[in-house]
Amino acid sequence: MATATYPPPPPYYRLYKDYSENPNSAPEPPPPIEGTYVCFGGNYTTEDVLPSLEEQGVPQLYPKDSNLDYKNELRSLNRELQLHILELADVLVDRPSQYAKRIGEISSIFKNLHHLLNSLRPHQARATLIHIMELQIQQRKQAVEDIKRRREEAQRLLKDAYLTLDGQ
Amino acid sequence: MDIISQLQEQVNTIAAITFNAFGTLQRDAPPVQLSPNYPEPPATTTVTDDATPFPEQPKQLSAGLVKAAKQFDALVAALPLSEGGEGAQLKRIAELQVENDLVGQELQKQLEAAEKELKQVQELFGQAADNCLNMKKPE
Repeated sequence: MATATYPPPPPYYRLYKDYSENPNSAPEPPPPIEGTYVCFGGNYTTEDVLPSLEEQGVPQLYPKDSNLDYKNELRSLNRELQLHILELADVLVDRPSQYAKRIGEISSIFKNLHHLLNSLRPHQARATLIHIMELQIQQRKQAVEDIKRRREEAQRLLKDAYLTLDGQ
Repeated sequence: MDIISQLQEQVNTIAAITFNAFGTLQRDAPPVQLSPNYPEPPATTTVTDDATPFPEQPKQLSAGLVKAAKQFDALVAALPLSEGGEGAQLKRIAELQVENDLVGQELQKQLEAAEKELKQVQELFGQAADNCLNMKKPE
């Protein structure tokens, strides 16, 4: 039979025979993987970035610009999507054999929409951080005002007590 | 839910409505003759026990699709995108950091002054209590 119920260990266990006496005699573990690697058929990467549309094999339908106007691009992609849906309906009536191209275009628009929305996440994170810092500054200022007010109140009480003592 | 997630949900809704719209069209539409070379399509002997007649359901789905697209536009208009982009945001974060440090130092100063005054008040209270004890005459 190809495999037994309890097969012997792999042959390289002999390489660790002298590990207890001399740890350096055993081979070193493999170094960590950097870059992209394949795991169960899927492509993964050690860099935690959003892959661009070209890396995913999808044509990019909006300009590659750092000062991108997200709102206008999202609106134009939305209208382009509606136009392609209407075009698909017409094609299904007149030229049904060409449906695959239209469906590919619609799929590409959907992927662009999702990619564009995911690109907004870093902006959202920075905006959230700004909001949290503004809240923190406001709370600290409130605490400073609170301490000042209570200090003045304590000083006023002390002054009144001094006046009372002098009056005796 | 934040507005970007709402937008993503809306895109998925548009995709689902599109899929359903074409599905119902393919299921219910009567056959058409593509070319005179092909034989005449069979007569429309569709079953008449449909709950909804043919033109109604595609109309409803098309209206839903248009409504979903308009909702997407409304959500895009409601996006709170600040002007300037990444550079302006990072500059704002740096400014807030500096201001936060200044306010933190001021808070620390106020806390130290308050603690000092608290110690003074406690000492004064101790002295006053001792004086009250000393002022009592032995019976």
